[in-house]
Amino acid sequence: MQLLWPIALITFKEGIRNRSIYGISLLALLMLIANFIISDMIGHEVGKVAVDIALSAVSFSGLLLVLFVGINLMAKDLDRKTIYMVLAKPISRAQYIFGKFLGITLLIITCLGILSCFAAVSLLLIKLGHQHYFQRFSWPLVCLSFSFIALMLILVSALSFLFASFTSTSFVTFILTIISYIIGVSLSDVKALVEAPQAVGIKVSPVTVKVVQGAYYIFPNLSFFDIKIQAAHGLPVPPSYIIGVVAYSVVYTLIVLTLASLIFRKKEFP
Amino acid sequence: MNMGRFFPVILLLALIPLYFSTLSTLSLMNKRLPKGDEVNVVLPSPILKITSLDFDGLSSDILYLKTLVFYGSTFVGKDANKQQRKLKESEFNWIYDMLKASTDLDPYFLDPYLFANGILTWEANKIRETNKLLEKGNHYRDWDYWLPFFLGFNHFYFLGDNEKGAEYLMEASKKPGASPLYGHLAARLAYKSNKVENAIIFLENMLEKTDDKTMRKDYETRLKALKAILFLEKGVAAYKEKTGRNPSSLAKLQELGLVEWLPVDPYGGEFYIDKDGSIKTTSDLRDMKKTQSNQENP
Repeated sequence: MQLLWPIALITFKEGIRNRSIYGISLLALLMLIANFIISDMIGHEVGKVAVDIALSAVSFSGLLLVLFVGINLMAKDLDRKTIYMVLAKPISRAQYIFGKFLGITLLIITCLGILSCFAAVSLLLIKLGHQHYFQRFSWPLVCLSFSFIALMLILVSALSFLFASFTSTSFVTFILTIISYIIGVSLSDVKALVEAPQAVGIKVSPVTVKVVQGAYYIFPNLSFFDIKIQAAHGLPVPPSYIIGVVAYSVVYTLIVLTLASLIFRKKEFP
Repeated sequence: MNMGRFFPVILLLALIPLYFSTLSTLSLMNKRLPKGDEVNVVLPSPILKITSLDFDGLSSDILYLKTLVFYGSTFVGKDANKQQRKLKESEFNWIYDMLKASTDLDPYFLDPYLFANGILTWEANKIRETNKLLEKGNHYRDWDYWLPFFLGFNHFYFLGDNEKGAEYLMEASKKPGASPLYGHLAARLAYKSNKVENAIIFLENMLEKTDDKTMRKDYETRLKALKAILFLEKGVAAYKEKTGRNPSSLAKLQELGLVEWLPVDPYGGEFYIDKDGSIKTTSDLRDMKKTQSNQENP
């Protein structure tokens, strides 16, 4: 841990100084301002729509953070060859990967914390104006949803580490990460569709079904982290589910990071 | 004098009016471009669930708002003179598909159900489709008394199924926050068939719970029409009691002094007595002005 901390700290500092963060925060702010306008158009469930928009704004901005800042932090060391200086120190490549990951995790938690505060303020203000329409609103569920978004983004970030470990450019890492995210969030819906294609009147070949079922076990199922609808309607989320999601994300993240460090150990630098 | 310093300012001053004129011309030209129908195919819900990625709730809100904006755009004119054009069957179908998709993405979202109930029943006569939507909502929102209340009303008023209507009303009366009137109304439905009188009680309740201005206006007009029908029905009943037969026209009621005045149909039609003695109106409780203005501007 003592060896990981300096790398984590420097990665975090580098990330927080990145100008992209300002742009991402501005986008999040604009989305949260839009929340006031859109919620006003709703007749009854103002609370639900406000929560939907607030959570989606945080989730989307967080994703941009991982894709544009997170990946860049990893790639910069390789592109600028500053990695030689780090690896010349008495630390292993695995320690380097875990340290970097720790730094990016810190960055995600900090940025998401700030974005969540903005989102909470927007919710609070809308709630003050439409008290009557927030009857099923629950702060603990909204906070839980923010935490699940953070866990999901940390997992996506771990995946980007895996891709960065075997690709040569950050652009390929970016593309692979974004594809994995799309697959991850829609996997359970796609699986449901190919297993019961008659719902939309299409035919699916048995090979496709097998491929999707295979992908279901390989790619992370990011829909586990999506409790926005439950948060928006104040529907209960059992504690066992919360424990399950935390366990799933920790195990998956560790598997991916271990794989990344294994591949990274064999990587040859030009 | 150094012209170079002022050139960018002069250029800007010339470009800004040019920008606004091109903007207005282009938006006019864009409107004239041959386009498909504004209302189009709605993707099946399982596909929409995939394409909305991590944002099912937000997509549901967007689909609902899009439907709301489209419905709002069917009102033409300004403020007081605002009139709605008659919607085509395909447009009603699109509204239904959109609301169905919105509630597939988030089946707990109340607004699309209320909107469907307000628009698709009275105006589009899509009672069974609306009931299907409401049943879905009722299944998910098991704490809500509104949806079984509307289901009860639709079964009683549109489908003439008092038994089922009473069943839903009983269900509504047991939900938290429900008006104690629901149980009473359910009992009335189960034993009597005073359709208009019961409909008035239903509508008064709906009006009480509705904030939306357009919906309120709609309910108020309908309530006014139903009250006029009830008033005339009572006159007919009195006539029948006196003479032993149905009156041949409404004027007869006035002649005998059974009604002091003949009410006007707020939908622009005229009340008349049907062969079976029931009160009907030429407007069929749909806005006559809407139909006329639609015929003028096809």
